[in-house]
Amino acid sequence: MAGKSGRTISATPNRSFLKTVLSWEGALVVIFIAVLVAGRIMSPSFTLDGVMFMMPQHLCQLFIVFPMAFVLIMGEIDISVGSIACLSATTACLAANAGLPLPLVIIICLATGVACGALNGFVLTKWPELPPMIVTLGTQIIFRGIAEVVIGAGSSLKYDSDNLSPFATYLGPVPIVFIVVIVVAALFMVLLSRTTFGRRLYAIGSNRIAAKYAGIGVNRMRFIVYALAGLMAALCALFLLTQIPAVKSDEFGKGFEMNVIAMCVFGGIATTGGKGNLFGAFIAGMTIVCLRIALGLVNVNDNVITIIIGVLLIVSVLISGISQILARRKLKNKT
Amino acid sequence: MKGFLKKITGNHEVSLAIILIVLFIVVDILSGFTFHGINNIGEIFKNNSLTLIMSLGMLCVLLTGGIDISITGVLAFSGMSVGMLMKYNVIKNVPLLFAIAIGIGALCGLLNGFIIAKGKVSPIICTLGAMYIWRGLATVVFNGEWASGENVAAMSEFGNTAGPYIILAAAFVIYFVVMKWTPFGRKVYAIGSNREAARISGINVDRVEIAVYTLMGVLAGLAGALSVSLYGSAQPTMQDGKEMDVIAACVIGGVSMSGGRGTVVGTLLGGIFYAVVYKALPLVGLESIWQNLIKGVIILAVVIINVVSQRLSRRQALARREI
Amino acid sequence: MSEELILELKGITKIFPGVKALNNVCFQLRKGEVHALMGENGAGKSTFIKVITGVFPPEEGQIFLEGKEVKFKGTRDSLAVGIAAVYQHPTTYPDLSVTENIFMGHQIKKGPVMDWKSMHKKAAELLGRLNADFDPHAEMGTLSVAQQQMVEIAKALSTNARIIILDEPTASLTANESKELYRIVKQLRDEGVSLIFISHRMEDMYELADRVTVFRDATYIGTYDVNGITTADLVKAMVGREIKDMYPKPKVEIGDEVLRIDGLCRMGYYKDVSMFARAGEIVGLTGLVGARRTEVMESVCGITKPSAGKVYLNGEELKVKCPKDAMDAGIVLLPEDRHKEGLILTWGLGMNVTLPVQDELAKGRIFNDNKRERELSRDLLESVDTKAVSIFDPASSLSGGNQQKVVVAKSLAQNGTKVIILDEPTKGVDVGAKAEIYAIIGELALKGYAIIMISSEMPEILGMCDRIYVMCNGRVTGCLDIAEADQEKILNLAMLEKGKEAVS
Repeated sequence: MAGKSGRTISATPNRSFLKTVLSWEGALVVIFIAVLVAGRIMSPSFTLDGVMFMMPQHLCQLFIVFPMAFVLIMGEIDISVGSIACLSATTACLAANAGLPLPLVIIICLATGVACGALNGFVLTKWPELPPMIVTLGTQIIFRGIAEVVIGAGSSLKYDSDNLSPFATYLGPVPIVFIVVIVVAALFMVLLSRTTFGRRLYAIGSNRIAAKYAGIGVNRMRFIVYALAGLMAALCALFLLTQIPAVKSDEFGKGFEMNVIAMCVFGGIATTGGKGNLFGAFIAGMTIVCLRIALGLVNVNDNVITIIIGVLLIVSVLISGISQILARRKLKNKT
Repeated sequence: MKGFLKKITGNHEVSLAIILIVLFIVVDILSGFTFHGINNIGEIFKNNSLTLIMSLGMLCVLLTGGIDISITGVLAFSGMSVGMLMKYNVIKNVPLLFAIAIGIGALCGLLNGFIIAKGKVSPIICTLGAMYIWRGLATVVFNGEWASGENVAAMSEFGNTAGPYIILAAAFVIYFVVMKWTPFGRKVYAIGSNREAARISGINVDRVEIAVYTLMGVLAGLAGALSVSLYGSAQPTMQDGKEMDVIAACVIGGVSMSGGRGTVVGTLLGGIFYAVVYKALPLVGLESIWQNLIKGVIILAVVIINVVSQRLSRRQALARREI
Repeated sequence: MSEELILELKGITKIFPGVKALNNVCFQLRKGEVHALMGENGAGKSTFIKVITGVFPPEEGQIFLEGKEVKFKGTRDSLAVGIAAVYQHPTTYPDLSVTENIFMGHQIKKGPVMDWKSMHKKAAELLGRLNADFDPHAEMGTLSVAQQQMVEIAKALSTNARIIILDEPTASLTANESKELYRIVKQLRDEGVSLIFISHRMEDMYELADRVTVFRDATYIGTYDVNGITTADLVKAMVGREIKDMYPKPKVEIGDEVLRIDGLCRMGYYKDVSMFARAGEIVGLTGLVGARRTEVMESVCGITKPSAGKVYLNGEELKVKCPKDAMDAGIVLLPEDRHKEGLILTWGLGMNVTLPVQDELAKGRIFNDNKRERELSRDLLESVDTKAVSIFDPASSLSGGNQQKVVVAKSLAQNGTKVIILDEPTKGVDVGAKAEIYAIIGELALKGYAIIMISSEMPEILGMCDRIYVMCNGRVTGCLDIAEADQEKILNLAMLEKGKEAVS
C-alpha cells in the first residue's frame, strides 16, 4: 500500500547486539558481576549459600522497586510507600494478635496497603494540579501518624503469632522471599514491556497531554498505579514481619521510599518520566542487596554502604548526563 | 468592602496570617490568657528555629523549581564536625565554630549546585545521593561518636542566650531584603517563572542555581551549629527526616513546587503554623501523640484548599466572561 | 530612511547537532527602516535572530554595527549596544509584575537595592507611550497575549534599543490587535528605530516593510524592495518552485448527515453552538484567534465537558465522557499543537500511529501485538506518503509537514471512523507540504468521512471547504455555502460581536 510517490518505509526493528551490551542495563550487569566477584574475593563466606542465607532481610524493599518504577515512568513520585508499609504492618499485627486466621491477616494487611495507595490516587486524580511529591509527603506523615496513635510513641507492637514462619523458610538453599520477588519481578516486567498497560504508562510519562488526546484514561491509570504501589508496600511489610515480628512507628519501613527511588534511578529510570525499564531497576536492586551483604560480611559499617550507594547514585546519573552532552558535541563536530 | 474581602481571600499570605491570628487568639482565650506571653512565643520560635532557618534556603531552591532533600544530612555532618572539634578540645571559640559549620555547609551546597547546574542532574536525585553521603559521613568520619553535655558546654551556653533569636531574626530580615529588593533575589524568581526567558534575557542561570544551592548549604550548616547549641548535643542521626518538615513549611506558606511563586513572609508563617496548632491540640483534648497525624492532615488540607479556591476563582472569572 | 547601514551580517554559518541551521547568509539593515524577513518554517529565520542577539554565537561570519565589527557572547552584549528582540512566544515571567518583566536584567537601583518606585513610574511612562491601558503592577500571567507583547516591546524600549527585532509578532493576534501593533511599529520607525520584522503574513509585510529579505533552506536568497516584487515571485523565492493547484479538491457526492451539534455550551468558553456535517463533506470552521473554535471541538471529542447541549451521531444522541468514548463512536480529532497534543516526540513513528488502537490490536486486549502494529503503522504511513526511512525513527526527527502526516496516519488507524476533525492542519507546515496535506484531506472526503476543518487561513478555507461556519467570541455567527462565501463576508462574520450589526 505504498503512497503516490512509491516511497516505502521499513518496519524491521534494528536490533544490534553491541547496542544491547553497551546500554546502561549491560553496564549494570557488569557492575553486578563485579560486586559478586569482589564479594567472593573479600570474604570466604560470600558463597551462594551464604548470600541466600543473608538475603531475606535485605530483599523486602525490592517489592516496592517495581511499582515505584511505574510511578517514576509516569513522571511522578510516591514518597509515602515506607509509611504505607508501616501502617499495613500495624494492621497485620492487630489482626494477628486478635487471633484471626492467617489468610484473613494477609488480606487485612494488603487491603490496608491498597486503601492507603488508593487514597493517594484519589487525591491526585481528584485534584490533578497538585504535585505528587507534596500529596505523598502529606500522606507519608498521616499514615505513620496513624500507626503512631495506634501503637503509641516509642513503643513497639509485637506480632504475637508464629503463623508467618512458613514464609521465612527456605526451599533448598533459596529463601521463599527470593522466589516471590522473582515471580513478582517477572509479572511486573511482562506488565510493563509486553502489555497495553505498560505502553500506556510510557505514553503518560513521555507526553501526558498527547496520551489524553490519544484516548488514554490518564487519571484512571494514575489511580491504579498508586494503588498498586500501596499493595506492594503492604506485601513488603508482610515479608518484613517474617524477619522482624514487631512494629515501631518511627522505625518500620523508614526511609524505604528513598532507598527504592535510589534503586530505580540507579537502574536507569529517569525521574522525568518515560524512560527506563524494570530489568535495569531489578539488577540495580540486586546489586545493592549483594553489596550490602558483601560489605556486611567483612564488617564494614552500614553507613559506609550508605555513602557508597549515594556516590553510585550521583555518579550513575552524572554519567548519563555527561554522555548525552558528549554525544551532542560529537554530532555537532560531524557536520 | 468587596475589594477588601477579595484581597484577603485572594492572597495566600494574608489568609494564612488571618488564620494564624484567629487561632492564636482562640488558643489564648481557651488557655486563660497564658498563651500570649513573651516566653511562650519565644519558645515557639526557638523550638522551630532549625526548620525556620532552613526554610529560607529551601524557599530559594523551590523558587528555581528545584528541591534539596540533603539538608539534614548536611546539618548532621556540620553539627557533628562542630561537636567533635569541641569534644577533642581543638576549638572552643563559638563564633569560629559557627563559621566552620557554615563553611562546611557551603561546600556541601556548592557541590550539589555544581552537579545540578553543570551536570544537568535532576535536583531530587542529586540531593538524595548527597543525603546518603553526608548522613553516612557524619557517622563514619567520627567513628559513630557522640558529643553532648560537658563536651559542648560553650555552645549550649550560647544556645541559652538571645543569640539564636538574633540569628533567626537577622536571617529573615536579610532574606526579606535580598529576595525583594536585590537583582539576585529577582533573578531567582525569574528563573523559576520562566527559565528559558531568563537565559535569553542574559541571566546566568547556572551561576544563580549554584548560588541558590550553596546558600541552602550555608543555612543547613548554620542550622547544624545552632542545633548543637540548642539541644546541647551532636549525634550522627540528628534531625533525621526533618527535611520534609522544611519543605512542608514552605508549601504551607504558599511556595509553589514548580517554581516562581512564594515569599519570605509566607515561609515564616508556614514555619510557625504547626507550632501554633500543636499548642492548640491539648486545649481541644488531643494528646501530643496526635501531632504527626495532624501535621500530615494540615499539609494536605492547605494544598487542597489552595487548589479548590483557585478553581473557584477561575470558575467565577469564566462565569463573568461575556459571550 | 537613509542608505546608511546600521547593521550588517556577512557569511554567517551556524551549526546545530546534525544540521546546518544557517549557511553563509548575509543581511543588511538600513537606519530607520522596517525590514521584513521571510521564509518557510525551518528556513533559519529564528536562528538568525538568535545569532544577531547573541543567544547563539555563529561558527563563522562577522557582524558589523555601524561599520564596526562586533562580537556578541550573549544577549547582555547585544542589549548593551542597543539590539533588543521580541520573540515569537512572549518570553515573559508569568508570576512577576509587568514592571518587573520590563526591567528584568537591567533594573534601576538605588545603591545596592532596587528602586521599585522609579521602575513603576518609568514602566507606566513606557506603556503610556505605546497607548497601553493596563497597570504596571499587574501580574503578567493575567494579561492577554497582545498585552504581553506590548510589555515585551516596552521592555525593548526600556533598554533604549536602536534595533528592535519582532519575531512573528502578529501570529497570535486578532485583526484589531494587529492594527494596533502596526501603529506601534510605524511610530517606532518614525522615532528613528530600525526594525526587523519576521512574519508569515503577506499583509504584515505589505503594510509595514520597506524591504524584504528571503531565506530558504538555511541560505540567503535575496533582498527585494517591497514595492518591486509580486506576491507570486515572493512565494517562488520562499518555496523555490511554483505551486500549481494548491487546493486539489475532488468532486465528492455529499451523503447523509453524520454529526449534529445542538446548542452546545461551555461556561465561559462558548454558547449555543449548533452545526452539522455530512458524509464526504468538508466543513470549515473559521474565525479569529480566540473565537474558541478548538474549545468546541475538544468538547465534542470528550477532552473537556460541555455544560449544556447535545451531540448526535447518525441521528443518535452521543454521550461522551472521555476521549476514548468519542473515538469508539467514530469521532477522531487531529489536535492543533502536534508537539504537545498530537505526538510523543521521543517515540518512533510506528508506536505513535498505533497508540490509540493498541488495545484493539493487542492479543486478548492485553498483550501488545508488535508485529501487527508495525505492519499497520507502516501501511498507514506509506498511504499518506510520509517521508521517513523507518517506522522506528523518532517523531522529533521529522519536519512539520511530515509530522502532520504521522498525525493523519494515527487518526486513520482505527476502524469505524465517521468524523475527522482537523484543527489547523497546516499550521507550521511548509508551503510545499501544505499542498500534500490538502491532497490527503481531499482523499479522505472522497472516502466518505465527514470532515471538519478548523482553520484561520482564509485561502485554505475557501479552497477546500464545502460549507463554512464562522465563529466569533464563542458563538457561531454564520454559516456560508462555498458558492456564496468570500473573504469579506467571512471577515464580517468573524468580527460580528453579539448584539452588534454586521458592518457591510
